Amino acid sequence: MISQFLFAGLPYLAVALLVIGSIYRFRNDPYSYTALSSQFLEDRKLLLGSLPWHVGIFIVLFGHGIAFLLPTIWGSLTSSRLFLITVEVIGLAGALLALIGLGMLIARRLTSAKLQKVTTNLDLTLLVLLGFQVLTGIGIALQLRWGAAWATGTTTPYLWSLLTLRPELGYVTELPGLVQVHIVGAWVIAAVLPFTRLVHVFSLPFSYIFRPHQRVIWTRPRPAPVNIAASPDSRRTFMKGALGISSAGALLSVGFMEKAVRFFRGPDTTADEDAEILEKRLRRLRVTTEERELELERMKREFIEVARVGELDASTGKYFIDYEMRPALAFLGSDGFPILISAKCTHLGCTVSSKVDSQGRLLCPCHVSYFDVRTGQPNAGAPAKEPLPRLGWVLFDASGELICTQGPDGKRQGEPSAEALAHAQVFISKSHEGASS
Amino acid sequence: MKIGVALRSCVVVSALFAVMQGEVSARSEFQVFSQANSGRGVDCAMCHAHPNGPEGLKPGQIGSLNAQELKLLGLARTAFEPGSSVENPILNDFGNRIVFELGKRTFLELRAQPELLGSLLSADSDLDHDGIPDATEFLQGTHPLSSQHGAPGALFLHNLGEQWFPIVMLAVATALGLYGLRHLLIWFSILTDQWSAESSSSEGD
Amino acid sequence: MNVPRTFGTIADFFAERFPISKLNFRSMVQKKEVPIHRLSWAYYLGGLALFFLGVQLVTGLMLLFYYEPTVSDAHASVEYISQHVEGGALVRNIHSWGSSCMIFCVLVHMITAFAMKAFEKPREITWISGVALLFLVFGFGFTGYLLPWNQIAVNATKVGLQSIEEVGNYLPGALAEIPTRIKETIQGEATVGQATLSRFYALHVVILPLGLLSILGLHLLSIQIHGMSQGVDRPTGRTERFFPMFILKDFSLWGVVFLGFFVVALCLPFEAFFAYPLFAPYDALGSTPDGIKPEWYFFFIYYPLELLPFWLVVGLTMVVKVVLFIAPWIFRGTSRKTLRAIAVGGALYMVVMTIFGQQIYEIFKGGHS
Repeated sequence: MISQFLFAGLPYLAVALLVIGSIYRFRNDPYSYTALSSQFLEDRKLLLGSLPWHVGIFIVLFGHGIAFLLPTIWGSLTSSRLFLITVEVIGLAGALLALIGLGMLIARRLTSAKLQKVTTNLDLTLLVLLGFQVLTGIGIALQLRWGAAWATGTTTPYLWSLLTLRPELGYVTELPGLVQVHIVGAWVIAAVLPFTRLVHVFSLPFSYIFRPHQRVIWTRPRPAPVNIAASPDSRRTFMKGALGISSAGALLSVGFMEKAVRFFRGPDTTADEDAEILEKRLRRLRVTTEERELELERMKREFIEVARVGELDASTGKYFIDYEMRPALAFLGSDGFPILISAKCTHLGCTVSSKVDSQGRLLCPCHVSYFDVRTGQPNAGAPAKEPLPRLGWVLFDASGELICTQGPDGKRQGEPSAEALAHAQVFISKSHEGASS
Repeated sequence: MKIGVALRSCVVVSALFAVMQGEVSARSEFQVFSQANSGRGVDCAMCHAHPNGPEGLKPGQIGSLNAQELKLLGLARTAFEPGSSVENPILNDFGNRIVFELGKRTFLELRAQPELLGSLLSADSDLDHDGIPDATEFLQGTHPLSSQHGAPGALFLHNLGEQWFPIVMLAVATALGLYGLRHLLIWFSILTDQWSAESSSSEGD
Repeated sequence: MNVPRTFGTIADFFAERFPISKLNFRSMVQKKEVPIHRLSWAYYLGGLALFFLGVQLVTGLMLLFYYEPTVSDAHASVEYISQHVEGGALVRNIHSWGSSCMIFCVLVHMITAFAMKAFEKPREITWISGVALLFLVFGFGFTGYLLPWNQIAVNATKVGLQSIEEVGNYLPGALAEIPTRIKETIQGEATVGQATLSRFYALHVVILPLGLLSILGLHLLSIQIHGMSQGVDRPTGRTERFFPMFILKDFSLWGVVFLGFFVVALCLPFEAFFAYPLFAPYDALGSTPDGIKPEWYFFFIYYPLELLPFWLVVGLTMVVKVVLFIAPWIFRGTSRKTLRAIAVGGALYMVVMTIFGQQIYEIFKGGHS
């Protein structure tokens, strides 16, 4: 029964009071439709209190409004954890800002002698009510975290049910007490709103920012010099600037800070992905290790194996690495002996293709030079002018016996039989390296 | 020109390959076709695990496979009919997808008409989710497994459609930021003007 | 030679370029005026280049969090950035597009500054520092290209470095060795390898940025001291205040450019314009894939190198470099009309070589079979 009054009766009562009271007041006393500014009596503390309060409460109310008006979009946005954290932090910061401002305003009302005269009990009641409301809000934010997310499933449908005149109290009666208190507090504030200075929310001074400036002329000389920063023109410009920058900043921080944070935090990879990444890195490391081993081998050993003669082919070369760690190719010559030729283009050092074209030439794809596979000579007009150097080789038979050798100059020593040749292994020799260079 | 040259030598070589190595060789007919059709350089990494194709000892090539992978390879080689999801270790996801969609028999027959592969593959399959179907990527010579790679125009339009929300938000933020910056600068210049007017008037005294 | 007088002349030269009386906020910002005439748009190009430098600094620092400069890990770490790190592909893509945009802005900035005779006394130092910045920016492009350690990167770097060695063929006697030595010093070892990667990394992320920022400081300082050059032979007499009006327009332009740039970087991967085998990890033992080319901003020197005798291109390049550096003294008496004609000629050459370089190359070298 009591909850029916608090969550269904009170809201309708509050809204009725709000509407009727506001209209009544506007018709009878339109000039009281203001915040009843007391700036003339005291302006320093007012600025210190009023500005944070208004900025803070605006942020908070904006958040409440979005969750109420766009529950589906909001719900999908808040399902992102980082978005949720960002929003909650912004909201909490706004609430704390509002609390600080409100505290300042209350202190001002209580300490300034001039203000005591114009302060009514209703003003104090209102300040206390607002303070209470902000405190319960902060309490909810801290105790019952992620309200930005759960509100879309609880209070939002409750408010919509009220709006559509089919109150569904089940959404809120199950909620923790603190939330219920916060909701009731909101209805109470709505109910008293038309009778207090809070009525100024209906005359939000948006036009202030855009109206041509008015100069305040004091009829009697002021003691202090005119403060430039407070001159209305520059202040308004500053406010526009701050408004633009801060809303751009807010948009960016909601959209892009999330991405930036994730960028620096590193990816959320599954165990499988981690394994895959690690596997790939190991593969690359192995390739590097192989290259380094080749290098070491070439430093230490007199002969390096290239291939068995039987493995060599006349049309597709086998890449290997010479003593200088440059790529080279091994082919089978028409006489059955191997042809070893450097694969480093003499033009600008690209690696030539291993495939012999129909005219017996190798292509360097970088600048299109063709090299004759037998002589190494480039084609006429090719960017490369020098021939690909030929490499010397040494043949060993299966027992490790040296059976034939050919220098880089093409002079051959030893005449193995055809069968021995087919089973022989091709090596390059360190001694040839010195001779060629 | 360069490409033309490379192509011709490729054709010769691939023919040789096919003769020498029989069934296991890379299907360079498709590579040659994709390259000629698109004018882009294409290598075996479009369908194979290694850019130099299946032959060799490097990771992703036949020589590097362990016993379990060899078993998978054997299984994959028998997938003659479409619809068998194979995990051939020498192929990449696109290669395996082709075998799944067409089956090995049809695929081998297509070697004579590689241009038909583009139309026979389903237009729904987009393995890298870049908005360009795998079949189209084959025809255009772009990588079917990289969302960062595709025909620039189509890729741009697809990403624009995907990313319109952040772009609109950014446009709004930019407009607001510029508005704010403009007024802050004006504010600052008003201050400095007044400040210098004051200091010059005090100098005048 | 009278040493004290020489020193005195040098001191006078700098005193005139950096007058103490102008080194203050009021003179450099508040009082600065920007001339208004039909070439005024060119005053925004330097600011735009500065904007892209900012973009490059930010994204570069972000990439630095994940990049690993070793031959075994460089390519894997770049792949990791684009495939696994949230927004990594975007950051990397912004960095790629940003480099091209920055170099484009710097080039256009230089050509227009030349056409507007912005190097006229007392702005020689502005011009010389600007030319130095241009070469530094090219240095960034060249060193940054290698870092992903993919096929096109390593092979293009090899080609670029090899052309230093080529110079040796045209030098007499003992001098012939010097280019090879220079190349090996840059390279750090016999071929492009780990040593090269480490060096290019150090250059790209530490040395060049430090150099760039310090020279940029000098460049900006001298611009603010002397203000914008008048730009045309007959000034219109109309000006606008640098602060806040010009700055405002500058920032607005930045905002609009950023938006367009971001959309492109978000939706259009830079690599989509190339064949994918070029981005496979570099394979020292395999053959070089087709289509190895430097970035587009080197086309203006790459295609001539392909087509013309090497000594001619190198000689011309040296002449152009020297002329650029001492332009304030060479063109001291030249009218802006003539300068404009030269600038248009230079710009036309760049545009034609960059856009039609490949076609020109094929026309002249197309006879291959």
